[in-house]
Amino acid sequence: MATAKNARHHVVIGSGVSGSQAADTLREREPDARVTILTLSSLLFYNRYDLPKVFRGHRDWREFLAYPAEYYKDHRIEVRRCSRVAGVDGPRRTITLEHKEEIRFDTLLVASGGRGYLPEELAEFRPLMHPFASYTEAVTAASLVPDRGHVIMLGGDMIGLDLARTLIDTRHRVTLVAGAQTFWPHEVSDEERPGLIAALEKMGVEVIESHDAGGIATIEQGAKGLSARRVLFKDGTELHGDVVMPFFGLSPSVEFMLGSGTDIERGLLVNPALRTTCEGIYAAGDVCQIWSDAEKRYRFFYGWKNVRAMGDLAARNITGGDEPWVPAQDEKLHIGSDGKIQSPFWEYH
Amino acid sequence: MGEIKPPSAAPGAAPEQREYLSDDPRDIGWVKQNVPCQAACPAGTNVPVYIREIIERQFGRSYETNREANVLPGILGRICSRPCESQCRHGWPGNGEPVAICHLKRVAADMKDAGHRITESLYSPTGKRVAIVGAGPAGVAAAHDLSLLGHDVVIFEREERPGGMLRYGIPEFRLPRDTLDIELHNALRLGVQIRTGAEIGNGEGRIPMAKLEKEFDAVLLATGCMAASPLPLQGDWEKRELRGIKGVEYGLDFLVQMHRGVKKTVGRRVAVVGAGFTALDCARVAARLGAQEVTIHIRTAEEYIPVTQEEIFEAKREGVRIKGLRTPVRLTAEGNRLTGIQFVQNRLGGWRAGGRRQAIPIEGSEFHEPCDTIIIAIGQQTVNDFLGTKLELDRWGNVRVGEDGMTSHKGIFAAGDYVNGASTVIQAVGHGRQVAKRIDAWLMGRERRKQVVRIVPVAQPLRERAFDFIPRQHMPTAPMDERMKDGDHEVELGLDDKLAFEEAKRCYLCNLRYQIDVDRCIFCRACIEVAPRNCIKLVHGVEVQEDGAYGRLLETKEWNQVGAIWIDNNECIRCGQCYKACPVQCISISRCELTEVEV
Repeated sequence: MATAKNARHHVVIGSGVSGSQAADTLREREPDARVTILTLSSLLFYNRYDLPKVFRGHRDWREFLAYPAEYYKDHRIEVRRCSRVAGVDGPRRTITLEHKEEIRFDTLLVASGGRGYLPEELAEFRPLMHPFASYTEAVTAASLVPDRGHVIMLGGDMIGLDLARTLIDTRHRVTLVAGAQTFWPHEVSDEERPGLIAALEKMGVEVIESHDAGGIATIEQGAKGLSARRVLFKDGTELHGDVVMPFFGLSPSVEFMLGSGTDIERGLLVNPALRTTCEGIYAAGDVCQIWSDAEKRYRFFYGWKNVRAMGDLAARNITGGDEPWVPAQDEKLHIGSDGKIQSPFWEYH
Repeated sequence: MGEIKPPSAAPGAAPEQREYLSDDPRDIGWVKQNVPCQAACPAGTNVPVYIREIIERQFGRSYETNREANVLPGILGRICSRPCESQCRHGWPGNGEPVAICHLKRVAADMKDAGHRITESLYSPTGKRVAIVGAGPAGVAAAHDLSLLGHDVVIFEREERPGGMLRYGIPEFRLPRDTLDIELHNALRLGVQIRTGAEIGNGEGRIPMAKLEKEFDAVLLATGCMAASPLPLQGDWEKRELRGIKGVEYGLDFLVQMHRGVKKTVGRRVAVVGAGFTALDCARVAARLGAQEVTIHIRTAEEYIPVTQEEIFEAKREGVRIKGLRTPVRLTAEGNRLTGIQFVQNRLGGWRAGGRRQAIPIEGSEFHEPCDTIIIAIGQQTVNDFLGTKLELDRWGNVRVGEDGMTSHKGIFAAGDYVNGASTVIQAVGHGRQVAKRIDAWLMGRERRKQVVRIVPVAQPLRERAFDFIPRQHMPTAPMDERMKDGDHEVELGLDDKLAFEEAKRCYLCNLRYQIDVDRCIFCRACIEVAPRNCIKLVHGVEVQEDGAYGRLLETKEWNQVGAIWIDNNECIRCGQCYKACPVQCISISRCELTEVEV
């Protein structure tokens, strides 16, 4: 891959919406630079928001790719797939991969996103659940749900509720075990909640308030001949379904940044220009907490449009810009004139 | 090497195969540098040896190895802050997760035979009498060692039962009281007298210090940090007394009162302010008392708080939430009833001691969170005014002691949190033992014990390479409904025999020293080729440090400069591959362990 002598090496960790957009912008603004994406995924960039399509029968991975492989070659963006970052040394500007390889960088953009959060009290049931965060997980879950099968959804964040729309549309049965993370990342008041739950029910989602049932006591494999999963509540009621899918929001993937010299609370703490506390390291997307002058706190900004805009902004600031973050989308959840829930986080097409 | 004791190997053994004791600083330095868990333990626990004994299923012996350094293994095996694990070589970058050293300590204590015989070497009676004030971990550890050394020891304890913070500060779901009682009994049974309900001071019903000074040859103060630190607030709350407000609790008092038998209650929404074990314990107790929302508010972030990840995880499983980057600045109240807390948002600042971070408040970022109960657990302080004897204090209000452990008052010594401020149980035990040794030296006019290294030849590697790939074994825990039904139900259930064996195999046994005999080495490189890490090096020299210990290796890649092929014991994971590959058997293994001998 030809690059000009003394050209800078920009490394992006993560090949999601944010990382891919950043790589595009970096290439556009610095044609001679070397741009490398490190990703855990075995697939090139695909849009996570498209994953519900697997329940409509779309299972070929090629259908999900945002760009063909030639795109990266043409744009001289090196994508290193199946690469797990073990650590980052900020002052030395070095990334260590799990297999001990060291990669030097001039600038680093961390866009590693978030993984599905599972509340600690349910952690022991993890092997019995089917997450929906990657193409592989989506296909696995879809293959386990028969025609008109029953999906038990725990939590019910907006990613899950988006899937629920597809499931209802494809004549599956959906039971939502609702709790504190329902409608995440929207912050829903106690007054708004009953109306929103009623709207979900109107959409065809069966809703059980976890708190009313005393919380989940256990999740088990169903007996032979019965549904594959059984969820038992503390009040003695139980649910039977084909899969149990957790949707409790996202937890930033920052473990590999511990000890890197960057400040971390839940996510990487960045200033409005998306710079971390370590020179040359930026963060964008679901992994970063941005200082909001207006709200006087560090906060996450979610949604496809926000995440893409963050990738773009970070790349512009890496290449000489100094612009502050401005949210790219509305965050308000509301009920439309048709009585259905409308979320800006579902507007990604 | 300074051979200071006759060899103890079988008669007829070749000299190089004999066990011997060394006081050579290079050997002592080697152990301190190469056995990081032992160096990190404030009590100096011989970790690799007790783990090896677990592999050999000699649980009783493993318990005794623990007791040589830390007289309360059954207790520390449950509640230790584990400074050893953060230094464990298995947890170094690229090596995986640290060995579960603490859990294995508990295995030794729990799995020893019911009729296990404690073996301790006793000194003959000295006729000297020592009074110890406080039956917490420092006082108990000192009492144990002083009684072994032949002194008559009497402990004066204010509470009805011994144990100090162990009994009154740590909830039973982390430390069952039957375990506590057994361990205290084992520590104090060599003739130590305990007078409980005996308060020292000048008030009515108290025993004056002057009386102790008169009746005893030495007095050791080990009363810990038994006063909760006040919460610094701003504005009109700065000078307001919080104790009278309904819904305000101090964490330490909350736990102490509960363990004295006072029935405690909390509101529906509980906010705990603080970032240590006491804060976490208070939050978990509040959850057991029926609070519906329990939140711990911390000034920095989870990554930097001084508690173990396992404790954080278990608290979260029990429904406790942790919110970071906030400092309380005011409380809100209606009448005399708490209604909430006003916080200021923080950003992370520079580094503090112990891997912690500073929190910098952000001006104008105040926000409010409603709550019904606040539990303040931001630290503890020593109390000195009860003594009636003027002692010199340091800037933090802790009593100042000299290198000999003595306060500014002749014959009065001090140990544990009373000297160091609020610390950990293992630090208190370690300090109690150190000061006991110094009291003995002062009473007897000379040091009676000194540190040496026992060096034992080992015939072959004690590990297999496959052991390096065993994942850390996780502690089984009680089901959630059992925990909440019975608030005292122990949460951690202990590793069973199978889990313990697997976990013990993970230990690198860093006390094994691999050495190449340069005179016999044929420089074939076979050892270098099989080494899984960059642990065998071509060197042209080795630095020698001030204390005589070996320092940095001076590596070379030029064959004409190579003086030796050297095993870098810092990188070595004791897998034994080099030993097996060597065609001329020029690699030797010896076990090096710190021990004490009579002077």
